[in-house]
This record gives sequence, structure tokens and C-alpha cells, in this order.
Amino acid sequence: MMNADSSIAIAHDRFIAIAHDRFAEAGTPLGGVRLPWLESLRRDALERFRRTGFPTTKVEAWKFTNLAPLARTDFVEAIAQGVADIATAVVDGYRLTPDCHLAVFVDGRFQPALSDLGRLPAGTRVVSLSQADEADLRLVTAPPAVDDAPSARALVEFNTALMQDGVVVHLGRGAVLDPVQLLFLTRPGAAPRVAHVRNLLVAEAGSSATVVETHVGLGRGVYWTNAVTQVVVASNAVLRHYKLQAEDEAAFHTAATSVRLQRNSAYRAFMLSLGARLARNELDVLLAGENGEARLAGATLARGDQHLDTTLRVEHATARASSDQDFRNVVDGRAHAVFQGRIRVAPDAQKTDARQINRSLLLSPAAVADSKPELEILADDVRCSHGATVGDLDKDVLFYLRARGLDEAEARATLIDAFVGELLDGIEGEPAQAYLRRAFADWTRKGARP
Amino acid sequence: MLNIENLHVEVEGKEILRGVDLVLPAGEVHAVMGPNGSGKSTLAHVLAGHEGYNVTQGRILYRGHDLTAMEPEERAREGIFLAFQYPVEIPGVTNANFLKSAVNAVRKHRGEPELDAIEFLKLARDKLALLRMDEKLLSRAINIGFSGGEKKRNEIFQMAMLDPQLAVLDETDSGLDIDALQVVADGINALRRPGRSILMITHYQRLLNYVVPDWVHVLVKGRIVKSGGKELAQELEAKGYADMIKAAAA
Repeated sequence: MMNADSSIAIAHDRFIAIAHDRFAEAGTPLGGVRLPWLESLRRDALERFRRTGFPTTKVEAWKFTNLAPLARTDFVEAIAQGVADIATAVVDGYRLTPDCHLAVFVDGRFQPALSDLGRLPAGTRVVSLSQADEADLRLVTAPPAVDDAPSARALVEFNTALMQDGVVVHLGRGAVLDPVQLLFLTRPGAAPRVAHVRNLLVAEAGSSATVVETHVGLGRGVYWTNAVTQVVVASNAVLRHYKLQAEDEAAFHTAATSVRLQRNSAYRAFMLSLGARLARNELDVLLAGENGEARLAGATLARGDQHLDTTLRVEHATARASSDQDFRNVVDGRAHAVFQGRIRVAPDAQKTDARQINRSLLLSPAAVADSKPELEILADDVRCSHGATVGDLDKDVLFYLRARGLDEAEARATLIDAFVGELLDGIEGEPAQAYLRRAFADWTRKGARP
Repeated sequence: MLNIENLHVEVEGKEILRGVDLVLPAGEVHAVMGPNGSGKSTLAHVLAGHEGYNVTQGRILYRGHDLTAMEPEERAREGIFLAFQYPVEIPGVTNANFLKSAVNAVRKHRGEPELDAIEFLKLARDKLALLRMDEKLLSRAINIGFSGGEKKRNEIFQMAMLDPQLAVLDETDSGLDIDALQVVADGINALRRPGRSILMITHYQRLLNYVVPDWVHVLVKGRIVKSGGKELAQELEAKGYADMIKAAAA
């Protein structure tokens, strides 16, 4: 423990030095013009990061996930702007559908030539962060939607200080964008790279969109994606936000998504997390308007030595809103899956309906799943429930399938398929559902290889 | 078809079957009756190859080959079918997907071409019609939200699809009301054919009113204590198992 903490401190000093160099260089500021408020906000964020350092396992929100391996790694920032030399065929391999709206990022940088944004419907805007207007920049740098200790937010602060690029998806009133894909490709280099990606998704009143976010590594190697995404769903808008985390198995992936839901709006999230050596997916949802609805689901598929963490914070700040969390882990080898789910219901958030379920399937004796529900219910007229189960595949069920002629491997695969498939059934929109099913099938096939 | 010789079986270190001898010729329907705890379900599970049931002595010959070392899926592919007393519920797996895998596993083993989706659907519809069952069954998850009667009918449907040589029906009548029993019995009768042997394991005689057996065996305390024609079942119904238990203890 001592060793891990001291190495985090050393790493932390090094990162601060890099950040100061970056500020001193004063390259092209975000938005193309110098915004004093933004510059001071970024310096403040860096100062807070300097004070807290990387979160250690002593920080409550990080007690199951040790960032020491990340903090020990010498990262260089991803290469400066430029056209990435990547064949269209490579992009097509990860594309949602051959004709979907597409924003491609390579090593954290927007690639207009690889993107396909020429046919966006009226009232919609998909641009890189460098083209964001000042209003976008205010939204994208807003504090996380749900409170937590500053020490728990260090990676968000670090991102705020060092962010260079990302995507802005903006839907005007009543606009429809279905679907758009945000494709983040990383090419591992000779030295480990880090990209601090910053995104903004805004759905104005009455709009509707499906956003599919994909993170993949092109080849084997150490790198770090540190993404922060701000989401605003205005009244009567619907946003479906589906994420595939398929980073390279040597990579680090940390992501913090923060969602604000207004009256009568709906946010549907699905996160399929199966890549990276160490990943942390944070999702904060603030139900700020009556009849808001957050349906959050996800599957974590971990094997080998992977450590995959899902951390949710759902805050019911208003009456008559509903939230549903359904997260499942499949853990094999010596892998470790973490689920933390907080539900907080404010004193006047009456008639809240909040549910949480976390189920883990452990496929090997060395596999570990940690599950931490956290309910803080301050209103009295609410319906809240939570449950967690951890177990191996049911022996009686396996016998039933084998007694019908399926061999043991087929029987196991059938049950794992069903366990994850039930969740995939809930993904709205055929292209997104088919896309994530393919990713799951690829994962299954890879595991079947000797 | 089936030749059980001096079969001893342990479950969790406890001897449950203590020397069972039973001969079931091809094409015949036999009933195994017995009181609770006599070893009926153990017999069913050991025939299907459940790993928790340990054969310590004796052997089970199926079409001349010893079954005892075979995996459950090998037995199924060789034509043995067990209708479970408590069919499991499997969320997320539809009957159609599951049965297609099962049917094709058996066909592949027999050297027959695998069925594609259309051929499978045709076969399934034929069998559903034969058993007068609803086609919706195919798209439902295995036994999820099924009544007791529906679960048992689903077992019989699976039997029809897998076309076994030897069917072992473990308490298929338990938990059924009289109407459901009639439907399930009709299903079993529809599947009787020359060359197919059926072993019906039951506590009560009432199923045997509908599916009339060629021969009846009485299992008490892990041994077959008496075998006879179908009138033996009626005798048991009238007198109960008390005399048999006493005789076994003596």
C-alpha cells in the first residue's frame, strides 16, 4: 500500500509539471479565441488536481479500484493535430452502419476526413470541440451533475486542465438524429499516450437522438483514454446513449459521464465494457425535472487480468421521476469487476421510483466481483429497491441443457449468452442493438479460442 | 433396449439404489412405482447421467452398451430422453433457439444433416400440432412464466422434437390437475411407437389409467421388490405401499 501511494505522489508531480508546460506553451485555445473565464477555470482545475492527486483506494468512491498502475506509467500526450494516416476500411470495420452519421477521432483528435457529417438533418450540429461556441464551452465545463468528494473527481479536474479535443452534438428544438456514432480510435505508440477527451451532448426540448460511442484500440499497447462527457436532456427530449468500451487489453480507460435531465425527458444508457486492462466508467445522472426517466443498463465482460469498474450516482432532486439500473458482470480468469451504484432521493422528491439490480456471473474460482449499493432516501413517499447476486452458472440448468444434447461448452455459452442477451434486448433501435450484439459475439468467440 | 443389472447408486455418500435389476424391452412401456424416498428420482437422474449420482456397483446397458461412463449429452445424442420432474426455468433462452441446438446436436451425432431455421420451424409446427400445443411456445423463454402443466407439456414437446429411443418420464403427472393430466397423457400416447421404449416413474397410479403400461415395477428402499402386469398398479392403488414396505424390511 505504501509503495502504491508513494508512486502515485511521484507520478502526480510529473503530471502537474507537464500540465504547467502545456499552459506556458499557450497553444491554440479551445474555441479559437482566448476566454479568460475558461483559462482561469482550467488553472483552478489543475490546482485542485495538484491538491488531491490521483485518487487512492482510501477515497471511498475508489476503494475497489487502484489507479497505481496508471499513475506509475509515463504518459506522453497524444500527438498534436494532423491528419491521421488510417485507411477508411479500418474505420468501416468499427462503423455502426455503412451510412450512419459519423464523427471519428484518432488519438483523441477529430478527423474530418475520416468522418461522415455531410448529411446532418436540419437543426442538428456535430462539431469538434475546437469549433465549439462559448455557450457549448460553458456547458461542457459545468461541474459534475451529482456531488461527490473533490478527491473522487481528480480525473475530471485533470481532464478539464488538459482537454484538447472532443465532440459537441447539439440537437435544436424538435430535431431528430438517429443514429450518430462517435468513434474514438487509438493507435498505441512507442511511448504510452494519453488523450483527455471532452464531449458535450445537448438535446433541446422535444428532440430525439441515438448516440453510439465506441472506443477501440488499433493494435496492442499501453495508452490512456480519459474522457469526460456532459449531457443535457431538455424537457420532452429523448436521448439514447449507447457505449462500447473495447479498448486494447493493455490500455487504461477512465470515463466520467454527467447527465442532467429536465421535465418529461428520457435518457436511456447502455454500456458494454469489455476492453482495457483497467477501466472505470462513471455515470452521474441528475433527475432535475418532474417525470424525468433514466433507464441505465450495462454489461461488463472481464477476463484475464482485467479490472473493469462501473460507478453510478443517481440523484432524484425532484418529485415523480424514475430511474432504473440493471447492470450485469461476467467475470472469468483472474479478472475483477466492480459495480457501485448510488441512489440519492432528495427530501422533497416524493413519488420517486428508483430501482437497481446488479448480477454477477463468476466463471472461474479466481474471478472477483464487488458490488456496492448505496441508498440515501430522504423522502418518505417513494418506491426504491435494490438487489445484488453473485454466483456461478446454475449446475441444475447446465445439466438440463446437457441432458438435451448440448455439450458442456455449448451449455455454458448458451447461459452466458442469455445472461447478457436479456439486457441487450432492451437497447432501442435495431442498428445499435445489432452493433452491440456483434461486439458481444466477438468477445464470446475470442474467449472460445484456445 | 434397457438392461439394468444390480445397480447401486450413492448420492452425497448415501446409498439410495441398492441393487436394482430391471429389463425394458424395445417398444414397451414400463412403469416404476414407489413411495417417497424409494429412489425413483435417483433412478431417473442416473439414467440421464447427472454428475451428483455415483454408480458404485452394477451397470446400465442401453442397446448393449454400458452407459455409466457416458456424459449426459452423449446419452441424449444416443437417444435417451429424460422428462424432468422439475423442469428448470432459463430466462433469456427461447424454446426455439434451445431446441434447434439440441435437435441439431442429436442429428449431427446420427450423421444426419443439420436443420436450417425453416426446416426446424416446420418440424416444430408438426409436433406442436400433434400435441395440440400453441406455436407461441417457441418464442417464449424456457419455462419462464409457465404453469406446472405447461412445463410438463413442454417436456413432452421436447421429447417429440428429439425423437428418442428411450424416454424416461420422471413424475410427469405430479402437480397436474385432471385436465392437464389428460392433455399430457394424450401427448405421451401420441408418441408411443414400435421400437420406442418408455419408462414412467410415478408415485400414483392415476397416470397409468391414461397411459397403460405393459409392465409395472415397484421400487421400495432402493430395490425392485415386485414386478407384474398393469393390474399391479391397481392393487397398489387399493392397498397402498404399506405391505410392500413391510415385506422389504423383513
